[in-house]
Amino acid sequence: MSSPDHIAALTKVVLNNLVYQHDWTGVQTHTEGNVPRPLIYGLPPKRLYVHPDEQIDIIKAEKERGEPIPQEPEVEWVLPLHLSEKWSPAQFAAVFDAIDALPPGAADQTALDADGTDAQWKLWRGPKRGKRVLLATVQDDSTVTYYWIFDGLVKPRQN
Amino acid sequence: MAAETSAAAERQVRISRVAGRYLVFDIDDVVYIRRHHGICAVLTGTMPQNPTQNLFLSLPVELRAEEAKLLVDKGVGHIADEQTDHLSQLGTMDESTRRAYLQHLRQQRRNAQQVFEEEKAKVQAKHLDKRKAKPKAAAAERPAAVTDSADSLFSTPSPSTTPGPSKQEKEAPLPGVTPTTSTSLLSPSPSTSLSMPTPASYALYRYLNARGYYTTPGLRFGGDYSVYPGDPFRYHAHYLANGYGWDEPVAMLDLVTSGRLGTAVKKGFLFGAEKPKPREEGGEGEVRVFCIEWAGM
Repeated sequence: MSSPDHIAALTKVVLNNLVYQHDWTGVQTHTEGNVPRPLIYGLPPKRLYVHPDEQIDIIKAEKERGEPIPQEPEVEWVLPLHLSEKWSPAQFAAVFDAIDALPPGAADQTALDADGTDAQWKLWRGPKRGKRVLLATVQDDSTVTYYWIFDGLVKPRQN
Repeated sequence: MAAETSAAAERQVRISRVAGRYLVFDIDDVVYIRRHHGICAVLTGTMPQNPTQNLFLSLPVELRAEEAKLLVDKGVGHIADEQTDHLSQLGTMDESTRRAYLQHLRQQRRNAQQVFEEEKAKVQAKHLDKRKAKPKAAAAERPAAVTDSADSLFSTPSPSTTPGPSKQEKEAPLPGVTPTTSTSLLSPSPSTSLSMPTPASYALYRYLNARGYYTTPGLRFGGDYSVYPGDPFRYHAHYLANGYGWDEPVAMLDLVTSGRLGTAVKKGFLFGAEKPKPREEGGEGEVRVFCIEWAGM
């Protein structure tokens, strides 16, 4: 099931789905380090995740400024999986151990942003960002569902 | 309550194992483990005459195996096999312990009597105040008089005392008391704790408890636990949680469905496992946890 062919096809399905259905840009596969299988990273058209504590910081900052802060999208990790697969906690731990919190290219983005002096909310895009990966689960009819998986205890969003 | 906090340091919670369930019968123990160890467990006691009444349950509290094990591992509780314990301890009772126990019961009844009298005095004082405050009409006074007699009816020491026609119970006998625990019958020194097997998701439970999270059984959200960031009286649950083995394969559909359900009820789905340590090191391994939420795309 996890033959190289299968993995390559799976990665391609997810990559195409991201590019053509969800309008992601700069989508790349990532095979460096000890990743158990190729990961994907790219830039979504709009911001996908805001940590609840970050949201508080943003609201505080917006109140001080008196104007809304535009929320630029962040580069995100994606892990392609097939619905028929069974992964153990050990395998998920291996993925998180093999990656940095910021995907390649994300650091440049934050460097450009880091002009404020006391902007707490900006730290969530850099040093305060925890490890998170989008689980892209593929079914045979090419449906792809996306779920966040976070490393450690991350409180849920107030949605 | 003050005695409870001062005695908290050396308190030993007696966990009764009855038919494979772990029960705590002492209300002070229940308060103690909830306050100091973040264990709320489940009230299971109901009325023997009306066992279908399950909205307001009472003592005993039933601990999950994880909770019982945690208390034992922390050294604040011990597990007693009630069937053998009671029979052996009651069989070896001599005359002096019997007398001490009867004395203890009488003291409890006296205490109860005192509480009743204090309560009654308080109620009477309240009604006196009311009558002074609004001495308007006789019509207003009549209902007050009715409630007064009703109050004294309810505060009669116990249904077992003969319901005499007169309300004056100056020479009333001490109220009957049914003790909720038999701890005073048993030797105070904790018997050696019984060993118990380690439950499957014990590592995850211990991890959450150590970080101040409270857990309740998670069936209503389809997991092992509902996880609260504090006492469930004050907070909504943050997570529904499942414990797995470190190398246990988990079907992707389980993660997707749990993640979906969790998001629908504004919670995260949390799963975790204990990383086994190399055999020579022993002890507890590192626990890794992961949270899953719907990504909204």
